[in-house]
Formats: sequence, structure tokens, C-alpha cells
Amino acid sequence: MESTQLALFALLMPLLSATVIALFLRRAGALASYLSTATAAVVMVAALMLAYGGHRFDASADWLTLGDFTLTLGIKFDDLAALMLSIVAVIGFCVHLFSLGYMHDDGYRARFFGGLSIFMFSMIGIVLADNLFMMFIFWELVGFSSYLLINHYCLKQSAADASKKAFIVNRVGDFGFLIGILMCYAAYGTVNLNELPDIIAGGAMMSAAIPLLLFCGAVGKSAQMPLHVWLPDAMEGPTPVSALIHAATMVAAGIYMLCRIEVLMVADALNVIMWVGTVTALYAALCAVVQSDIKKVLAYSTLSQLGYMVAAFGLGSYQATVPVEIGHGDGTMQAGEIWIMVGGVGAAMFHLTTHAFFKALLFLGSGSVIHGCHQEQNIFKMGGLAKKMPITFATMTIGVLAIAGLPFLSGFYSKDAILHLAQQQNPTVFGLLIFTAVLTSFYMIRLWRITFFGAARSDGAEQAHESGFTMTLPLIALAVLSIVGGYTGAHGEGLIYGTAFTQVWEQIPHPEGIGVFIKSLVILAVGAGLAFALYKPGASDGLATKVPAAFMGLTLLKESFDKGYDYYVAKVQDRFAMVLNFLEQILLAGLIIRGLAGVVGLFGLGARALHTGSLHTYVYWFLLGVVLLWGFAGGLF
Amino acid sequence: MDLLLIAIVAPLVLALAMVLGLPKALARNLAYLGFALPAVIGIILWCQFDAAAKESTYAFLTTYDTGLTGLGINLTLGLNGISLPLFVMAGIVGLAAGLYALQSAAERLNHYVTLLLVMQGGLMGVFASVDVFFFYFFHELALIPTFIMVGIWGGRDRNYAAMKMTIYLTVGAMLSLIGLIAIYYTSGAQTFDMIALREAIAAEGLSTVAQRNIFGLLMFGFGILVSLWPLHTWAPLGYGAAPSSVAMLHAGVLKKFGLYGLIQVALPLLPEGAAHWALILATLGVVGNVLIIGVVAMAQRDLKQLVGYSSVMHMGYAFLGVACLSVVGVGGVVFMMVAHGFSAALLFLLATSIHHRTQTFDLDEMGGLVKSAPVLSAFFVAATLASIGLPGFANFWGELTIFVAAWQVFPTLTVIAIAGVVISAIYGLRAAAKVFFGPPTEAFAKVLQEQPATDLTWSERLPALLLLVALLAFGFWPKLMTDSINESVAEIYPAVETTVPADVARN
Repeated sequence: MESTQLALFALLMPLLSATVIALFLRRAGALASYLSTATAAVVMVAALMLAYGGHRFDASADWLTLGDFTLTLGIKFDDLAALMLSIVAVIGFCVHLFSLGYMHDDGYRARFFGGLSIFMFSMIGIVLADNLFMMFIFWELVGFSSYLLINHYCLKQSAADASKKAFIVNRVGDFGFLIGILMCYAAYGTVNLNELPDIIAGGAMMSAAIPLLLFCGAVGKSAQMPLHVWLPDAMEGPTPVSALIHAATMVAAGIYMLCRIEVLMVADALNVIMWVGTVTALYAALCAVVQSDIKKVLAYSTLSQLGYMVAAFGLGSYQATVPVEIGHGDGTMQAGEIWIMVGGVGAAMFHLTTHAFFKALLFLGSGSVIHGCHQEQNIFKMGGLAKKMPITFATMTIGVLAIAGLPFLSGFYSKDAILHLAQQQNPTVFGLLIFTAVLTSFYMIRLWRITFFGAARSDGAEQAHESGFTMTLPLIALAVLSIVGGYTGAHGEGLIYGTAFTQVWEQIPHPEGIGVFIKSLVILAVGAGLAFALYKPGASDGLATKVPAAFMGLTLLKESFDKGYDYYVAKVQDRFAMVLNFLEQILLAGLIIRGLAGVVGLFGLGARALHTGSLHTYVYWFLLGVVLLWGFAGGLF
Repeated sequence: MDLLLIAIVAPLVLALAMVLGLPKALARNLAYLGFALPAVIGIILWCQFDAAAKESTYAFLTTYDTGLTGLGINLTLGLNGISLPLFVMAGIVGLAAGLYALQSAAERLNHYVTLLLVMQGGLMGVFASVDVFFFYFFHELALIPTFIMVGIWGGRDRNYAAMKMTIYLTVGAMLSLIGLIAIYYTSGAQTFDMIALREAIAAEGLSTVAQRNIFGLLMFGFGILVSLWPLHTWAPLGYGAAPSSVAMLHAGVLKKFGLYGLIQVALPLLPEGAAHWALILATLGVVGNVLIIGVVAMAQRDLKQLVGYSSVMHMGYAFLGVACLSVVGVGGVVFMMVAHGFSAALLFLLATSIHHRTQTFDLDEMGGLVKSAPVLSAFFVAATLASIGLPGFANFWGELTIFVAAWQVFPTLTVIAIAGVVISAIYGLRAAAKVFFGPPTEAFAKVLQEQPATDLTWSERLPALLLLVALLAFGFWPKLMTDSINESVAEIYPAVETTVPADVARN
């Protein structure tokens, strides 16, 4: 098959699967789940063939033309897209497989798997998109799939609220995103990712407004502050969804998008992006410390790691000079150089990749734990699972160590690349990110210790059992990836990557020397040591009993945003709507229309006749008019 | 045989036959035919349009002498790239509304269907007329049954609603009639034929003053008919009271008469007048319709009122697009009109189907309907997402192209208009959540106990599916529509100069 056809196949198969499920398999849950999973499998094969088979190409087709505006849909398949596509396809398949077991007894399985398929379609669309309009289209569609899947348990009020919140908050981000796209189109005459670099290199004016408005989209989708509030709530969705959409792929789309529009970046914009990412990383890590719901801990951890990636992009990996020809008014050209800021694409994408592996692993692991404990999600009601669920325990341990940055696991390499970048660029950010790293190992060890050790603290945990092979198999696969995912081989062949993604990997900054190991080990040891000191496997939160002030403070910090938004919605937005509605009803309906009716009554006999209330009068006027007109034309008068 | 004439006359003839006392069962079966024919003809003509011979953008031109030739009036029928999509939309929405009406348990169903057939005939006539007089005539022909049906078969406050609708829409129609007659006289062409008018004005050109005054009349006249803020108050009230099929046909199709008039008649004939009023039109549309009505919609508790307000709100985007005075803007408006026709009709249909199951339109007395009516909830969520402009549905392309066009002319207003995208998501998803998700409220639980809700029946599903498929088809393949729109609009509207953005030219 040709490259384009293969890519279209990978894009459209999930759409086909979703359509078939929606039309014919609504009541056949088992069949729907097999169809969707089989689709995910062939998509994975196609994606890996594309990524590793040396297919790199561009293709596009006009989709809509009005006047001088033409919107195209196209594919830009470079190393960056190949990397992202591979991640989405591999994690996607793992999650589908896991869901076969996890959702086996769910009454609405067909809807769930249909939703997963529509998500795969939308997400692959973002990855392949060759222009910003197309990206926006699929951007909105992943928002829809996310809405659908968060709302899976839609008879629960909390799930209904969470899905609504996710969609609306994302739309707030998209508001900026769309304006940014329009500005980009107005300024450069194109939003095509292949044409933009040429126009920029041609010396077009750059502004910070365009990249920052586009960044708004990433703030919404990747849940950066202040639009991060939807992601913890999104944990109302089934756990496999949290793993796929709200940890590994969709929420990382914001970072992918930033890497796509790297050419538009200017120093000021990168600076803002760096700070938003850093603050989010720190804030979310602090919030994660006081969560008792296993999924919420992981959700805040995801926020924090996404903050890392955004910060990495903002830090910029290097600054390059590019030779250009500068035109003069009289038509002569002169050679010159311009400075181009280059975002930290390498470091950000590297962490995105390893994070996708270990966070998907952690979420699926937590799913396995929840499934094993009969839908118990509170870590203080678990305990003693290490022996009852050995595979889940072993794989989760790998995940915890990977995110905490144990040397030679994947998270160690990617986090170090970011820290190294920060060290070179900005000491304050470096300090904050180091502190965040300590917090990360602190809350992850806390989670790990309380969940798996000690005595079982509820009936659910008492009767826990290891999950079936469809669930443990993806865990093992992801655990392997979490170990080997860090060997990118930027200077040679990568362990699992080969040379497929060299364009991305060669941008990773590489710290040298033994100091790196020591730094990472110290971070891990401090975090873990504190966690061991504070928390014992038990029914109560160690921090709450030992340092209540800190616990209260962190809880307050976590709630402040939700409370602020709730206040805004209830007290500002809804009241404003009520006031406007009141004015609408009273002023317009009451005064103006009566006044207008009066005026009409004065001027038109017909209207006055209507005002007396008989509708039929209107019919007679109409007929009379018709008779008169034809009579007049016929020369009767 | 002239298919256009059949599409207009068939529903009218059937309506006449029903009045003359056809046996009830036969009459109803024939009514299906009356609703189906225009839709089928619309699709046939669509397929033939590209290959058809065209004169001044119009294809399928035929002229009938109706005895008014002395006044420069002939029944000239034809379709161009602007009217074709609307003609097809009118046919499909009419079929859906007819199917929905025929399965409803309305009292005196035969009379109801008769009036609906008259309305349908008028609607097809509006978009098939090349003659401005008949364009107006058919609008009135469709409007009268609307008033009567609201007054007789309407819901709460039907008398007040019918009266208010009548007054507003009559005034709007009168103002636009005065404007049209003024064009007739000042152009010196002494004809109502669109093609002749265009040629005459292209040769002579109207004075700036005349253009400004006439455009003002048309803008407010047509504006009232399309619920331009602040002359919109008839709409939510009227739609709230109107029986479902009437709301579907009026909000979906008949309301587009005003926009269609602006695009097909006012803008091409009065370019200077349009330029004079553009900023005012755009401001009223964006600040009034989109922002104010959008916020007002958030405060609604009544589902049907909410759908009515959302319909008013979305007209604001259309006004913004019209005010751009460009090919992209006008093309976007045509797309938006068609898309909104389908989505508004679908929402009104589903709102009534929800009412059958909940016995109320009060959003605070529902909840959890998804459990007993999953298909209904899927349709409603799809319709809501379509109306809030989710890609994949036709409405998205309309909004996007309007935004692209408007950014060049009114950047600040465009930002406000885009904020409307967030506002509509808030009220749309709130409504969906209140009706379908979460646990049922106490009041609704009682209703459910007395009368368990069933899922969407096939007789309801069929018309809904028709509309949804149309939304998705145009949503996935916008080219279906834009190719023909583009050709006509580009010919009617003077080509917009393509300027290289200044920033690119600079270093």
C-alpha cells in the first residue's frame, strides 16, 4: 500500500468501527468490543508500519472553497507525527485490550467501545493534520469523545457534571485557539504547517500574540493553569479512559500542538509558556499529596507532568541562527541572518513519550486495583494488595519508580533532559522543578505504600484478586516500555525506536557525567524517605495527623480554584444571565412591543384589524390584495 | 415538465384536494406524497445542477405568464447556487416536518396537515422564484398558515403568541415590501425580475442616497423576519407556543426568507447601501443576538424557549457574515442557513418528543431520561452539538467561514462572536444534562411511575434521522454545497481583491 493510503486507513478504520457500532451493534456489547479492539490492533500495525517503514510524506486535498478562502485537509507525516502516531496507536491498543476485561460486565459496553473508536479517529486526525484548521477540527472532536467517555456513567450526577465541565472548559481554551488560528491566517495568509516555516524564514513579522493565543488551546486541552480544573473531575470516567485520554494521549495533544507550531514562537511567548508549565507542575504536585482517591492522585500527577512538558517546551533547547535573504524596497536581495528561538521540542516530546508509557501503566494498574477491590478507589481502604495481586503490584512498582526517576528507567532520562535544560536557562525554574521532582517521588511512594502494604482495610481489599490476562498483559507490555522507553539513541540506534524518530531525538539535550545520577538519586531518596517517614499503611492520612497545618493548607490550595470557579458561575455568570433575562422579558416584551403595536396601529388599518385579535382578518386582507393586484394588472380599474 | 413548478404546486394541489373533502385515509396517504415530492425533486435538481445550462447564475429557468406582465411581473422559476441548497433544505425539512405531523396525535389532523402543505408549497416557491414579487408572494402564502396553526394548535399562551408573531412579522414584511417596491421604481427597470433588475442596476446604478434608504428599509424589514435584536421578541415566544412541525418549518426554513432576501436581492443590488449599514448590522447581530441573547438563553428554564433563544442567537452569526459583504462571508451565511435549518428543525422535533415523555418543558423537572430513552438522548445530544458548532456537523463550516471572513473586517466583533461559541456550549450542554443525565428529579420520577417513558418510536425516528443525516453529510463533505455556492456568489458579488497581507511583504 502507498503511504497516503496506509495513513488514511489508520485514520478512517476507527471511524468505520464507531459507525458500525452506533448503527448495528448497540445491543451487542461483546461484538462491539471485539470489533473496536480488532480495529485498534490493525491501526497499531498500520501505524508502526508507517513509522518504522520509512514512510515520510505530505499530502493534502481541498475540502472547502469559498472565494479566496480554501480549507484543505492534509497529512504531514514527519518524524514528529510518526512518533506521536506510534504512541497513540500502541497505548490505544493496550487500553482496548485492557478494557475487554475491565468493562466486561458493563451494560453499556457498546457505547463505551464506540466512544473509544471515535476517540482513536479524532486523535489520529490531530496527529496527522498538516494545517491548523484541520487540527482545530480534530481538536474539537477529541473534546467530544472525551465528553462522551467521561459521561459513561451518565446516571451519576457527578459524571454528568464532570463531562459538561470538561467540554466547556476546553471550549474556553479553544476560544483563544481559534482566534489565534484566525490571526495566523490573517497575518501569514496560510495556516499550513509546511508553508509557515518558509514564510517565517522569509522574514515575516512575528508577534507574541499569535503563539500565545494558540497556546490557549494547549492550556485547555493539556489542562494547564488556570484551566486545569476539568482534569481531576474527568476521573469520573471509566479508568481505561483515564489512562488513554486523560493521561497518555489527548491531554498531551497540547504539547504536540506546541511542537507543531514551534516556528511561530518568539522569546516572550516561550517565557510565558515556561512559567505556566512550571507553576502548573508545582501546584499539581502539591495537590496530589493530599488526595485519597487513587485516580485523583494520578490525575494531579498527570497535571504536574504535563506542566513539566510545557515548561520544557518553553525553556527552549537551543537558539539558532538561520541564514536568510532579506529583500530591499528596490528589489535587491541581501544575505543576512535572523535569530530563531527553538522550543524544547526534543525534551518535551521525550517526556511526553515516556510519560505516556508509565502513566498509562499506572492508570491501568490502578484500574486493575479498583477492579480487584470491587470498585474501591480510596487508597486508605485498600492495603495488603502486594501479595494478592502480584502482577499488578510488580508492574505498578515499575511505573512508580519510572515516574520518580530511578536511574536507567525511562522517566529518569526524560526528566533529566528537562532539568538539564532548566539548569542552563533559568535557575528559578530549575529550583522549582527540582522541588516538584522531590514531591513527585514523595506522593508516588505514598500511594504505592498505602495501597499495596499493610493489612487489608476493607471488604473489597480483603477479597481482592488478580485480574485476568487481558488486563495483566497490557500492564506487562507497558511496564517493559516504561523500562526501555528511555533509550532514544540520539547518537545512534535507539533500543526500541531504531532510527525512526531521529529528527525529534537529536533535539534532546544530553547532560553528561556522574552528577546526573547523583542528582536523581538524591531527589528520589529525599522524596521516598519523607514518604516513608510520614505514612504508614493505615486507615488515616499520615500528614493529616502529624502535620495537620500542612495538610489543611494543601487541601485549601487544591480547593481554591474549584471554589473560585463555582463562585463565578453561580454568583456572577448565572446572576448576570438572570438580570439580562429579566430585562429582556420586562423591557422588550412589555414596553417596546406594546409601543410598536401602537405605532403600527396608527399607521396601518390592517395591523389595527389584526390587533383586535382575529387572525382570519389577515387572510382576508391577503386575498383582497391579490384580487386587487390582478384586477389592476388586468386593466379592470 | 417543469420540476420546480411541480415542487411548488404539488403540495398546494393536495392541500386543495383535502379541503374539497377527500376520504380521510386517502388524503393522508396523498399527504405523504405532497411532502415527499419537493424533497425528491430538490435532490434530483441538485444532481442535475452542475451540468445544467445557466443564465446569469440561474439554472432551470422557466417563465409563466400569470396575467401580471403589464406590471413587469412574471412567475419566473429557477435556481442558482444560493437558492439551490436552500431549496433542497426546504424540501428535506418539509418532509421531516410532514412525517412528524402525520404521526402526531393532533386534533383535526387533516386540517393541520392541509395548512402544513400550503406552508410547504409556499416555502418551495420562495426559494425557486427568480421574480421578486413572487418571492414575496410565496413568503406570505407560507406565513398565513403559520399564524393560523400557532393560534389553533399552539401550546401555552398561543393567542398572545400568535398575535405578537403576526404583528411583528407583518410589519417586517411590509417594510421589506416597501423596500422592494422602491427598488422597482428607482431602478427604472419597471420589472420585478431579478436578472433584469441586476442588469438594469449594473448599467445605471442607483444613487447613493437611494441605496442607503432602501437598504435600511430592507435591513430592518428582513431583519425583523430573521429576529434581528432588538426586534426578536416574537421568536422565542412564538416558537415556544407553536406546534412542533410549524416551529420546525418556520425556524428552520421560513425565517431564512429574510437572510435570503438580503443576500440575493439587497446586497447585490445595493452595494453602497450595504456598506453604509454594515457596521450597524454586524454590531446588532453580534452584540445583540450572539452576546445578549446568548446570555439570556443561559437563564432559560423552559426547553422550547431555550431552543427558540438559541435559534435567535445563531442568527447573529448570519448577520455578521452578511455584513462582511464578501464572497467568503456570504458563502458562509448560505452554509449556515442550510445547516441551521436542519439543526433547528431537529431540536424542535426532539423537544416535542421529550415533552411527550416528560409531560413538561421545565428543565428543572426532568433528568435521567437516557435510561429509558437512549436513542432519543443520542439524537438530542447530537443535535445540540451540531447547533453549538461541533466539527463533523454542517453548522461548523458555516460558523468557521463566517469567522474567517469577519476577521478581515470586524476583528473585535469577531472575538465577541467567537465567545458565543463558549456561551452556546454552556446552555446547550446544560440542557442536555438536565433532561437526560443524572438521577431523575422527584417530579419526573412521579411522571415516570404513572407513565413509563418509551424510547423514540420509528415514526419519530425517521424524520429525525433524515435531518441528522443531512447535518452529517454536509458536515463531512462541505464541498457538496460550497462548489455551487462559490460559483454563483463569486459571479454575483464583485470579486474581492486578494491582497497579500502586509506583514508578509515586510521583512
